[in-house]
Amino acid sequence: MMTLPLLPENPADLIVACHKGRQVTCATFLRDVAELAQGLPADRPLLNLCQDRYLFAVGLFAAISRGILSLLPNAVTRETMNALQEREPNLLCLTDQAEAPFGLPLLHLAVDAGAATEILATPQIPAEQVVACVFTSGSTGLPQAHIKNFGTLVSISEMEAERLWSVTGAPCTVLGTVPFQHMYGLESTVLLTLLGSGVLFDRRPFYPADVADALAAMPMPRLLVTTPFHLRTLLDAQIELPPVTAILSATAPLARELAAEVEQRMGAPVLEIYGSTETGQIASRQVMRSEAWELFMGISITQNDGRFYASGGPLPQPQVLGDVLELLDERRFHLLGRGADMINIAGKRNSLAFLNNVILRLPGVRDAVFCLPAEGDSSRLAVFVVAPGVSAQSILQGLRDYVDPVFLPRPIVFVDQLARNATGKITAATVQELIDTHLRGKS
Amino acid sequence: MTQELSSAAAPDIALEREVAAMIVNALNLEVKPEEIQAEDALYGEAGLGLDSIDILEVALVVSKRFGFQLKADSEDNFRIFASLRSLSEYIAANRVK
Repeated sequence: MMTLPLLPENPADLIVACHKGRQVTCATFLRDVAELAQGLPADRPLLNLCQDRYLFAVGLFAAISRGILSLLPNAVTRETMNALQEREPNLLCLTDQAEAPFGLPLLHLAVDAGAATEILATPQIPAEQVVACVFTSGSTGLPQAHIKNFGTLVSISEMEAERLWSVTGAPCTVLGTVPFQHMYGLESTVLLTLLGSGVLFDRRPFYPADVADALAAMPMPRLLVTTPFHLRTLLDAQIELPPVTAILSATAPLARELAAEVEQRMGAPVLEIYGSTETGQIASRQVMRSEAWELFMGISITQNDGRFYASGGPLPQPQVLGDVLELLDERRFHLLGRGADMINIAGKRNSLAFLNNVILRLPGVRDAVFCLPAEGDSSRLAVFVVAPGVSAQSILQGLRDYVDPVFLPRPIVFVDQLARNATGKITAATVQELIDTHLRGKS
Repeated sequence: MTQELSSAAAPDIALEREVAAMIVNALNLEVKPEEIQAEDALYGEAGLGLDSIDILEVALVVSKRFGFQLKADSEDNFRIFASLRSLSEYIAANRVK
């Protein structure tokens, strides 16, 4: 059985994180992990809802070191939690907050602010050990689980680190504006740092001024992990931005104009990462140099029956991609379109099929179809609903139990009926007609 | 960011209406500005139901119109966006134009 060290073989005094203004050495992180690990019940999967990025990482690595599965939900809604509890009745919620949501059984996490006084041995982890379960919105309306083994996460982190640090010149301190329970934030702000020799920075800046403050508080070199939506907001704020070594963006392709403006205003290269919850990160590009995406070493893409499959490298088996690509050669491709069903808003992912399924189950809703009226990372979803006598308010209330608020529709347009074709589908043309008729000129 | 919310002062109704119109306009909301009550919740399940993305967009128009940047580090964030009145009071206390 192949094993891998929980952390790369670092010197014990190497700084691996910044937490609440103090620098955390590798030895202190391992101490925090070991202390939590001792107290974890062996047979209970851990729902890691810590909001502090450092504590989240302590929870994740403590669970890994004890062979305990971490559950990383894509939304904290009543129905998601119900579905998780049905799947894992024994789950324990790890949190740094005073209360667990929806009355889940809770384990509260806090760490000792002092530095470690002894150097613990780095635990060895079987490469095949399943360590995390990441969820996406399944098309049936139930969360769909994707399991990740430790070897896969280590390889992906090493590939990403190699790519990014070759641009920045050295491992960076990493600041993220994206949620770390989702794959992109998990890989690029938690795993890239702890498994890829970067430095984890604990702050989660919200407003543009918070991003600027956080960057200013970080040692150089600095990497900002963000999305096109957050970059647009950051530039629009017209504030002075501290120097940054590189910017990483994902979730939606970055328009060349926005990338140019970011590079000019921030004086640093913008890289983009391409991946999915199923595959993890598999390619990158620097759009100001090339429109084409370049696959990470060891990954290849093949086309079969009009669908694209990624395989090799850390992927245990070929994974289908939801997007439409144009393969240029063995290493490079153009992204022609995101999968029609996939939506990603500010680092959170969902699918239209899931949302349609959820709304159709609400009381009084006879028919409904979600759509994304305008292209782009920040646009709002709209929904057309046939639901006589039902208020927009009660539809929103019903949806809240299932979906993250960023996916709540605006507007909700009530219609008398929706035209479905012979196979019962609402065609893209019908949806476009509805948008043109009801939403034109509104947003 | 150092000034406290001044709940003792009389509410600035004109500013509240201006902020309500600004929110509706920035977010393409379907409600009319005059329908937003001063004490209505802005964030979360009740009231307007704004989410984190809306709040970023509102913060942007606030910074342009009133000349100061909002920050979340102060933990005041939920209190500031608790209602139209609390946001308006915060703007009144921090505006530079």
